[in-house]
Amino acid sequence: MTELEQVFNDIVKQYSERLYWHVRRFTASHEDADDLLQEIFIKIWHALPSFRGEAQVYTWVWRIATNEALNWLRREKVRAALRFSSLDQEMDRRILSDPYFNGTDAQRELSRAVARLPEKQRQVFVMRWWDDLSYEQISAITGTSVGALKTSYHIAQEKIRASVSNAEIGRDD
Amino acid sequence: MTRNNDISTPQGYFDSLQQRLQAIPGKQQAGRPTVARRLMPYMAYAASLALLVAAGGFILRKTTAAPQAEVSEGSYYSYLAQSLDPDGGLVDLPREYGLSEEEIVQYLVDEGVSLEYLNETNDEKAY
Repeated sequence: MTELEQVFNDIVKQYSERLYWHVRRFTASHEDADDLLQEIFIKIWHALPSFRGEAQVYTWVWRIATNEALNWLRREKVRAALRFSSLDQEMDRRILSDPYFNGTDAQRELSRAVARLPEKQRQVFVMRWWDDLSYEQISAITGTSVGALKTSYHIAQEKIRASVSNAEIGRDD
Repeated sequence: MTRNNDISTPQGYFDSLQQRLQAIPGKQQAGRPTVARRLMPYMAYAASLALLVAAGGFILRKTTAAPQAEVSEGSYYSYLAQSLDPDGGLVDLPREYGLSEEEIVQYLVDEGVSLEYLNETNDEKAY
């Protein structure tokens, strides 16, 4: 085994599970999350020879993963349009039909609300709420200032609260 | 700590995940791309640039042609979408679905759709 392969294997051991949960929040589907994870690690393998330690390994790995997740969303948006649908509708359908969802109604509504957020708000919310990364870590990964991230997260929370409240009101009618 | 207790995976998924991912270096070396395949992303970008130029020319021809039905900026992409959509039907992607030119072009590049394929497919639908 080469040194590069050893480094790659260590990255797989350390980050594969966390990155799976991260991309799963974007794809809302286990199968697509698995496929996307493979693509991410293929990219990591190809980029490894040129990684010179400019950033911490976790920052570099997370950056690749989060960029690929956003690229996946952009491709899905176009695919949805070609099927006469929208990304919001597609994500809703996935969340509602996910056979591996075993949470509460409130958790499902939360997922649906997050899926409707604009790209950047969704990204910071996923990383802060579900991935439990600090603002400083998210800032290093995304290149966005901590202040801007806090603002995005606050706005996302407000939108989610409104969305979940509307869903609850709808159910009470 | 993560809050991922609302979603799960197939049983045993993580047991084999590391092994599958760690097999990537071996597979990538076995299927080492040829020079042509390594150049493909650059060819795709060149194709997408050519597509944009062609689209610009198309719109220019249509807007300076003899009076006829108004052609919207999105119609070239509707035309494109029709060739990619096996069920047919005109889809005005930019207007109806809020897609930008860049998003559509990036999609085509990511999907490896070549300019030659588009030209062949659209020849039959020339205005």
